[in-house]
Parts: sequence; structure tokens; C-alpha cells
Amino acid sequence: MTSVSQTGPTPGHDAVESAERRWSAVCLCIIVLLVFLATFAGVRQASLPQARLETVDPRTLHVTGEFIESNLGSAIEPDESVTVRIVGQQYSFTPQCIVVPTDTPVTFRAASADVVHGFLIQNSNVNLMVVPGYVSTLSTRFSKPVESNMPCHEYCGTGHEGMWARVHVIEKSQFLKLAKQRRRVSCVTQ
Amino acid sequence: MSTDPSRTRWLTTAIAVTLGLVLLSALTGFVGLPFAERGSPFRSVWDAICSSAGLVRNRLVTDVVGPSGYTTSAVVLSADMLQKAGAESIGRGGTLAQQCTMCHGNRGLSDATIPNLAGQYVAVIYKQLQDYGRGARTSAIMSPRVASLSDQDMRDLAAYYAYLPRLPPYHPVAAGPAPLIVQHGAPMRNIPPCATCHGEVDHKVGTPWLEGESAVYLGSQLQAFASGTRHNDISEQMRNVARGMTSAEIEGAASYYASQYPPER
Amino acid sequence: MLRSSRLILAHFWLAFGTFALALPLGAWQMLVRSPLHPWISDPEHYYRSVTAHGTVMGYVFPTLVAMGFGYAITEAALKRPLIGLKWAWAGWLLVAVGTITALIPVSMGAASVLYTFYLPMVGNPFYYIGVVLVVVGSWIWVALMAVNVYAWKRANRGAPVPLAMYVNVAGSLLWGWTAVGAAIELLFQILPASLGLTNTVDAGLGRVFFSWTLHAIVYFWLIPAYIAYYMIVPRAIGGRLFSDSMARLSFALFLVVAMPIGIHHLFGDPQVGAGFKFVHSIFTALVTLPTFLTVFTISASVEIAARLRGGRGTLGWLKALPWDNPMMLAVAMSFFMLGFGGAGGLINMTYQLDQSIHNTQWVTGHFHLIFAGAIVIMYFALAYDLWPHLTGRAFTDLRLIRAQLWTWSIGMITLTFPWHWVGILGMPRRMAFYDYTDPANAPLALSVVASTIGGAILVVSAALFLIVLIRGHLAAPAEPAEYRFSIAVHPPQVVPVALNGYGLWVGLMLLLTAINYGFPIANLMGRHDTSVPVVHIGAGK
Repeated sequence: MTSVSQTGPTPGHDAVESAERRWSAVCLCIIVLLVFLATFAGVRQASLPQARLETVDPRTLHVTGEFIESNLGSAIEPDESVTVRIVGQQYSFTPQCIVVPTDTPVTFRAASADVVHGFLIQNSNVNLMVVPGYVSTLSTRFSKPVESNMPCHEYCGTGHEGMWARVHVIEKSQFLKLAKQRRRVSCVTQ
Repeated sequence: MSTDPSRTRWLTTAIAVTLGLVLLSALTGFVGLPFAERGSPFRSVWDAICSSAGLVRNRLVTDVVGPSGYTTSAVVLSADMLQKAGAESIGRGGTLAQQCTMCHGNRGLSDATIPNLAGQYVAVIYKQLQDYGRGARTSAIMSPRVASLSDQDMRDLAAYYAYLPRLPPYHPVAAGPAPLIVQHGAPMRNIPPCATCHGEVDHKVGTPWLEGESAVYLGSQLQAFASGTRHNDISEQMRNVARGMTSAEIEGAASYYASQYPPER
Repeated sequence: MLRSSRLILAHFWLAFGTFALALPLGAWQMLVRSPLHPWISDPEHYYRSVTAHGTVMGYVFPTLVAMGFGYAITEAALKRPLIGLKWAWAGWLLVAVGTITALIPVSMGAASVLYTFYLPMVGNPFYYIGVVLVVVGSWIWVALMAVNVYAWKRANRGAPVPLAMYVNVAGSLLWGWTAVGAAIELLFQILPASLGLTNTVDAGLGRVFFSWTLHAIVYFWLIPAYIAYYMIVPRAIGGRLFSDSMARLSFALFLVVAMPIGIHHLFGDPQVGAGFKFVHSIFTALVTLPTFLTVFTISASVEIAARLRGGRGTLGWLKALPWDNPMMLAVAMSFFMLGFGGAGGLINMTYQLDQSIHNTQWVTGHFHLIFAGAIVIMYFALAYDLWPHLTGRAFTDLRLIRAQLWTWSIGMITLTFPWHWVGILGMPRRMAFYDYTDPANAPLALSVVASTIGGAILVVSAALFLIVLIRGHLAAPAEPAEYRFSIAVHPPQVVPVALNGYGLWVGLMLLLTAINYGFPIANLMGRHDTSVPVVHIGAGK
């Protein structure tokens, strides 16, 4: 530091100003770099917040629309991507056991039937809030087969600690076989 | 240096920097990023800006897979539903209930393994009747009897049974400690403690209180949920719970609740 | 001795008293959800405890510290008695009454909504009424800070506002505006729902209003600590403040940028557009600047103190610092925790990195490290510094103070470092118990136990803190010298108008609020299809 002036331990006025100015410049560079890195990574890894706002009525999720129970689970789209539809409620996610393929664009679409929930999938960066009245979406890709826990991570009431779902990531070929048998795939054993 | 030019300089610099940053971040966030995204869904810049701002863009719902081979509940529950039943409704319900007393008892308490209804939540009784009527819940005994009931009849019956006093069951069993599955559930199997919905800790709308219910009835319903034979629980919430329970746990939970006294109002 | 010492002591004792009650709750929470304790039989007790702990530690304790410290600064910096003493007492009373009003339903289990409110869940209305009273009481303080500084300015036209008061008022104005978000949510959404006047509410909109308050509130908490860094530490260790104008600029920047960035708490939420999430992310990156500036200015000020004591060399001057001075110890430990806590904050501020840790225990570890660690240790330090001037008695034994500061730091690091780790491993937040026998959760067990031990150490440290303060009341009377603040190396004769007033900064803060929050709020308020049923909790059978 150049703060030691010739006349003693306390720096002169100009020394103070120039030191502060230089430091500010350094800080601004650090900040710009961090922001740039995050933005760049966001675009490259396709990790950006959901692109659209969508609304849905939590009262009638089970009656009509895309979140009725028979439509939940993993579905293959015409462009070979997979859409996983999930309902969150006190105190479980439906489907309770979710199957997704490797090496495929997967989009999660989730709605809440009552209060705010949220979920993360361990061993992945999937992390999403589910707010009643809105549809949450998140797109990602899984690279390796693994079985993971999917806890609810937002306080949703006194049973929150029991709200753990499971996710099975399986080989794409295996998934395609399952998808031939059922239009909505899950690993729930009935 | 007089303060005036310095003041203006501070003002203009601060506003310029602020607005500059706003413009830069807005251009990046509302235009740049949406289009830089791989597989960008936006058709035009205006579309990207509107979506990024948060204007609602609901998709058209197509290709919905309906339930195959079974019906699900269509009841829309709300916390305040059916709360304001008047004496008239209760009276009508009482008259209708005379058809029910043979199995459900004339005080809403059965002396066999048929469910007690006395003092049950009004929304619960209404929903089960609706589900029987629609075929979301099926029973050789209940389905024919419910077929002739109108929506108002169901409201009246629900009001009547909810109004009845909660009395101890005919064959009370000695109370034991709550089994672990009831107290704590089993989190990794997605089983929360029963009391967090069924009333001792908190109550979820449409959820029955269970104390004093027949152990055989409770056990058979949990087994039915576990196998999917019973499927009128909204969005599989009870099927999710029962599926993870072992037969021993089902028996333990059922016996426990059967041994408890009905909750005070 | 300060003339308003009774007022200030009332604030500090209410603050530290509630702190002492809430802290063991936190330690209990750590214990019961750790592998050291069987699963509790009623999970609601856990959530009740979290609500009480969070409400006190977030809304009551830091508010009272800021208020008490603010009154002390007003008198000591402006060198005149506080204007509005009766109003100040009224404010204190409102906070006290509000706290009790809020905590009664919480302790009965009727409002386990956690201190972040959690629409559409609602609890007993008195919880929310209590919080509103606390906020209103604090707004009286905000008004008094402004009244006092403007009275001084009128009587001393053109003179630089004493630095301590300038930054104090900046902090109060920030709080005054940032509390509005939660106030709107409470008054227009939560209370009508809780009182049964409406049975639907827009949960997403409520979260947006709350985010308005949620980020800047941590800056409100931070400001007394930063004031202590600038205005107390250099004086206490025998040094000078490196730069007066940088101090003013840093606090002015906080006033502008701390508030309109709250949507970074909603990165994963579906009710806000991605564009606004990015804009908030950029401005969040900006709010790191005043902290960076502060670290530099304070480090330079500390270096001056070292060199005045004969310190030499590029880093050798560190040895010359008065390490047995509690204030030196406090600032060093605070900076250590600020470094790690701040780094954690840099991770939370972008959507991309937030994805890895949102709603995991990382978040809880982060804010305990930075708030309960870096900031609260300075609350202790400023209380110690003021105490002789409030009690008219001197501390005789500094050893207990040093022991308290050491145990707080060690406890905090033991608590929070493993806590960050389990968050990275994916441990979700706010669960009353965890199954550590599950293979995915087993790796968490040891770290959670370590954190629990940290919590226990903190209970001991808090007890030491109270003992020191109580002893401070019982020591032999010793009239202290006049309370002074740090002097800058180059005290300014003239300060630019912008750095001597608030108009520009408040104007920018309001402008940015309109730009950053205007549309997200209006967008949701204008819709009818986003209101959802209210879920009353704690309704029991």
C-alpha cells in the first residue's frame, strides 16, 4: 500500500483519494467479471429462469387441465424431448417416484394444489419453487443414471419433513421402452 | 469550488450511471438473454420482452391423458364450504339419514366395522357422497344408495352428520401408545406424521378425523389406497402415503386410531 | 454519561433480553433435528420454535439495537439532547408491546408461519398485528432521526453533518422505505386473510412484496455494525478513519442499491419474469461495492493505527495492533466472518449459482455466518463501547469480554462452516427431523453434529455477554470521558451537498423501486386468476 507518506504514518490527502479510486476500479472489475461469468454460464449451460409466466387454478388441478392425475409423470413430446408434470400438495409430490432419461432435454412443469412448495433433485442442479396459482417450469439434461431423493425444500406446513419424493434417472433406451408401454411414465409401483 | 456546479455534477452523474445500468441490464435481461438461449421459444423481440417482463402467456393445453378404466374425484374443496348449513338443511338431512341408520347407526355410530359418521367434518362426508355418486369411489353397498341422491341431498346429509355429537365408539379398545409410523411417519418413504393432516397437529381440508373409527375399516381403506383399488383421494395424496406403509404398519396405525376417543370440537 | 442513557439502555436491554430468550431456541432446534436426538413427537413444536427464533432475531433484536445505537449517535455526534424524547419512548413501547403481542400466539402454536410469513398459509391475526406494531415503533425512530438531523442542519447551515449521524440517518431512511413492502403485504393481504375478511390471496404477489423488505432488511441489520467499523473501531484502537467521503459514499450507495434487489430471493419463483430476475441480479452485484469499499477503508484505517504504534513493513504492522483491545479482536473476527459470509453472498446473487443451493441448509448457514457472526459480534462490540457511557461505570475486567468474543467467533464458525457444507450436499431447509440412516443423508450426520456443538458454544457465549453487561451495571461508578467517534485523517471542511444530504439518494432509491418493482407488482395486482385459497393453520381440530 502506498499509504505510508514521507512525513509519517498517516497518508496525505491525495494518497488517500488515489488509493480509494484505484480500489474502486479493482472492485468494479471484479463485479463486472462475476456478472459476466454468471451470464455466460447461464447461456452456455442453458440455465436461465423460466421464460414465461403461466397461471393455473390450484383448486381444480385434479378436475381439468394438464395437471389431472392421469396426465402427471413423464411424457415424450413430438420433438423427442421429455416433459415431466408434477403436482405438489401437503405433503407429497405426485408422481411420488419420477423417471427421466439420460441425454435428453427434460422440462419439469409443476403446480401446487395448496401452499408454496419447492423441490430440489439431489445430484443435480434442479431447484424450483412451486407457488399456488402459477406453473413453474425448468429445463435441464441428465447425463448419468442415478437414483436421487427429491425433497420439498420450502416450509409447507407441519408435515413438511415427510415430503420426500424419488427420481430415477435411467438410460435413454430403457426410458423409450417404458414410454412405449405407457403414455405417462413414472416409477410408482401400484 | 462553489457548490452549485458540483451539485449538478453529482446529480447528473448519479442519474446517468443509474439509468445507464438499468438500460444495460434491461437490454441484456429482456432481449439479449431470451434470444441467446438455445432453442429460444420467442418469435419476436416484442414477444421476448413481454415474456421476460412477466406478462402471462398461458399455453393451450393439448394432449391430456385421461384416466383409463377409472374415475377420479371432481370435488373442489375449500375451507369454508358447507359451513353455513342452517337448521333446515340439518333437518332435511336427518330425514334422509333414516335410510342410513341400518348400517351407520341411528346416532351415526355403527356397532360393526362400518364407518362412524357422527360429528365428522361436513366437507368429508359431502366429498365421499359426491365421489360415490360419480363413481370415483365404488362400493357394492354405497353406490346404489347414493345414486338417487341430489347434490342438495348430499349437502343436507353432510350437514346432519356433522352436527351429530361426537360420541365414543360402541366397542372402545384400550388406548395404546402411538406407533412410530403414526408419530413420525417415515420421511424417506414420503409418509408424514398422520396428525399433520388428520387433526391432532393440524387439519387439512377434506381430511377426516380418525379417532374411534373401526380398526378393520381403517385397515381396509389403507390397503385399498395402497393397492390403488381406492382412488378418490385428490391427486393421489393418500395413495402416496399408504403405498409406502408395510402391512404391520397399516395394522398398527388402524388399531391406534380405533383406540382413541373422538376429538373435542 | 449520555443524557438519553435510560432510553438507550431500555432499547439495549429489550434487545439483548429477547436475544437471550431466542438464542437457546435456536440451539434446541439444531439439537432436535441432529443425529444426537430422537425425532421429536410433535413437529409443530419445531416450527413454532423457528417462528419465535426468527421473529425475535429478525424483527425485534436488530431493530432495537439499531434504534438504541441511533439515539446514542444522535446525542453524541450532534452534541445536543435528543429532540422528541417522549416520542422515542413511545416507539420503544410499541416495539415492546408488539413483541409480546406477536409472541403469545406463536408460543401457543397458533402462528407457526415462520418469520417469512408463508402465504397462503396464515396464522392467528395477533402475530401479524404484533409485527406491525414493532414496525410502526421503528418508524417513529426513523422519523426522529430525520427530525434531529434536519434541526442540526438548519442550525449549522453549510457545515458538514457529523459523519456518524450522516450514516445513521442513511440507515434509518433505508429501513423506513424497505419496511413498506412487508407492511403492504401485512396490511392488505395477510391481515384481511387472517381476520377472515377474505378467503383468497395472491401468494405470488405476497412473496414479491416480502422480497421488497427481505433483502434490504439485512442491510438495515448490517448498518449499526458498519457504523461501528467506521466510527468506533479506528478511535478505539488509536487510529484515524482513512476517508470521510468514502464512508459517506458507501452508505449512500447502500441507501440506493440495498432495497431494489429483493427479487434475487425469488429466482426460482414462477410469478416474476426472467428479465426482472436478471436486472435484480445486476443490481445485487452492485451492492457488493459498498462492502468492498468498506473493507478497504477500514483495513486502511486499522493500518494507520498500527503504524502510529510503530508498526513497519508490508504486513508486519499487523503485529503492532492492540490485540488485547476487545474492539480490535471484534473487528478482526468480524472481518474474517464477513469475508466468508460475503463470498457466500456472491454465490447466492446469480440465478445460475443460486440453483445449486437455493433453500438448502447453505442459505441458513450463510445468513447465520454473516448476520449472527460478522454483524452481531459488532453489536456486542458497540454495546461494550457504549456501556460505560450509559451506566456511568467502567469495565474493570476485559478478560471476560475477550473470552466472550472468542467463544462467539469459535461457536459461529463451528456452527456455520459445516452448515454450508451440508447445504452443498443437498440437505433441504426447515425440516423438524431428518433420517440420517438413509444412504443419501448419512454423509450429513457428522457435519450436523458439529453445527449442533457450535450452537451450544454460542449459548455459553451469550451467557457471558449478559454477565458482562450486568456486571457493567454493578461496577464502581466512574464518570466516563465524553463519548467520541473516529476522526478522519483529513476531516472535511466542506462536503459536497450530495454527501451531506439525502435527497439525491432517496430519489434514486425511489426511482429504482419504481423501475425494479413497479411492473412485477402491477402485473400481478392486475390479474384475477392468481388468487388462491387461504390456508389457515394451527386451526387444530
